[in-house]
Amino acid sequence: MSNRAYCTIQGLTKRFRGLPAVCDLWLEIYQGERLALLGPSGCGKSTTLQMLAGLVTPDSGQIRLDGRSLNGVPPERRAMALVLQRGLLFPHLSVGENVAFGLKLRGINRAEREAQAMAMLAQVQLTGFENRRPGELSGGQAQRVALARSLVIRPKLLLLDEPLSALDATLRGDMQDLILRLQEDTGVTLLIVTHDQQEAVVMSHRIALMFDGYLRQIDTPEALYQRPNDATVARFFGGVNFFEAVGDRHRLRLPGGDMLTTDHPQQGPVQVTIRPERIHLLAEQLCGTNLLPVTITQTRFTGTHRHLTLSTVAGLELQAWVPPGQTFAVGQSAFAHLPPDAIWSFPSVDELSLPEPVSIRGG
Amino acid sequence: MTRKVALILIIAVLFLPFLPLVVWSVAKGWYFPQLVPQQWTGAHWAAVVAPGSRVLQGFWQSLVVAGLSTALALAVGLPAGRALGLMEFPGKGAIKLVLLLPIIVSPLATLMGIQFVLIRLGLNGTLAGVVLVHLLPTIPYMTLVLSSVYANFDTGYEAQARSLGASPIQVLWRVTLPLVAPGIVVGALFAFLISWNEFLLTFFVGGGQVLTLPMILFTALQGGNTGLTAAIAVTSVIPALIFLLFSSRALHDDAAMGGLGDV
Repeated sequence: MSNRAYCTIQGLTKRFRGLPAVCDLWLEIYQGERLALLGPSGCGKSTTLQMLAGLVTPDSGQIRLDGRSLNGVPPERRAMALVLQRGLLFPHLSVGENVAFGLKLRGINRAEREAQAMAMLAQVQLTGFENRRPGELSGGQAQRVALARSLVIRPKLLLLDEPLSALDATLRGDMQDLILRLQEDTGVTLLIVTHDQQEAVVMSHRIALMFDGYLRQIDTPEALYQRPNDATVARFFGGVNFFEAVGDRHRLRLPGGDMLTTDHPQQGPVQVTIRPERIHLLAEQLCGTNLLPVTITQTRFTGTHRHLTLSTVAGLELQAWVPPGQTFAVGQSAFAHLPPDAIWSFPSVDELSLPEPVSIRGG
Repeated sequence: MTRKVALILIIAVLFLPFLPLVVWSVAKGWYFPQLVPQQWTGAHWAAVVAPGSRVLQGFWQSLVVAGLSTALALAVGLPAGRALGLMEFPGKGAIKLVLLLPIIVSPLATLMGIQFVLIRLGLNGTLAGVVLVHLLPTIPYMTLVLSSVYANFDTGYEAQARSLGASPIQVLWRVTLPLVAPGIVVGALFAFLISWNEFLLTFFVGGGQVLTLPMILFTALQGGNTGLTAAIAVTSVIPALIFLLFSSRALHDDAAMGGLGDV
């Protein structure tokens, strides 16, 4: 993976019947990178992908791939390949013919075509499937054939549009591994569109998060978890703990008078967040800093974690996910330790001006 | 087993009415109370297949007219069906209604006007005129069948093919047409049979110059030669049967079903 911008999107805008779908989107994709375009349904991520693929014409903006402007270039000459949600194998062709489809259009002779298609099928672990009909395949197999069909033409950019959302959960994990391995083997630059933040985190080097047609943050998965730009981003990534505070460099003063130390300095009124899995719960007061006396008001066992709801003396509610071995009873008093490096904050803004966090899972 | 019996029953009910026709075509008189004709003859069939016979000429004439009007209806119906099936635009309902009008309104009401126009264009009594007027009932059927096929067609296949490197023409040839082929077969079957059996329009516009098989059949019927009429009638069923067999095979091919909607 290089740090040279391979595909650049500049000021991409699209409106449908006057309603903005994608607004002034700027994005750079590096060669060999896996980038996820993440967002709730209707956020414009699929429209962005279709504009990249040339299926939708942008109202304004530029797309460049490998130094070439793609404005006005038809989809078949963009050196991109598309894998859609339903695989869409051509039902009138055999699996082998499906994989060889793009090669045939490129005028590659039959022997060479077959050899490449067979090799590609072997790479997606479907050796011996070349004479099957698409109707005989399971959903996962069909999606693997679709991947093989797109990879065999060696695209500069592989576009995946919710490729795994039609598969069941166990199969999805296997397919994620397969896609990751294929991407590493071929070195293809990959853009995956998804509404599933788990999938985006697993599948990509960087995630571009979109809400309502706007790009909100583009960063590594770790950064999006630990250092979200605002509360909406934090909530989308499962953030549950938010509270107001006044920052004075590394010190944060909470409304109740409690003081917290953070590694991320801030000034003035801020909104503080900490991920529930980063809060440690101690039965005794072992260390001095960032320790809040709390009462446990709720406990839920989820199998891998124990989800606790904590209430501080000042009335602040926090959620903590502790290891399942730690048992706490409702009503019990304890001390919550908030590690300074886990406390993140962003300037307070009127929350109403931000779009409401839409449901994470959508159609 | 039950299925087989049912199938045999259906075939019997469908084809029994043809039996007397077949018998008539080889009988030399068949009158009450004879259960079977007393004398048989091949004369009627000999007359039908004789080189240069009017029946044979009519057969070819019908084939040309039906073939051409099916092809033209397809040329209009494919894009029209796509537009009606896939796109949303104002006045879509009205267009569908207008399309149905030639089927709803009796041709008797419009034939005089059509004939007047065709005479002025010099097309009355010509093959081209007959083909043109046969488009009147065939285009609506073709367009409606194809619009329901396209309504169930996933344009994702086309996007997919484009991204794999197919130009629009290649997409049409390699993806769209194979996928809607079953619908095309059904539409073509409708159009062909409608044109093949059309009498009234041919009678008026053909002006006695274009003699399709139904015209020949009508003349024979008026002539009172029952045996010959029966032979011609049986002849007129042949292409329909061939077309039906061919299309049922095409429709049974599962791979081709991808683009077939609720036709």
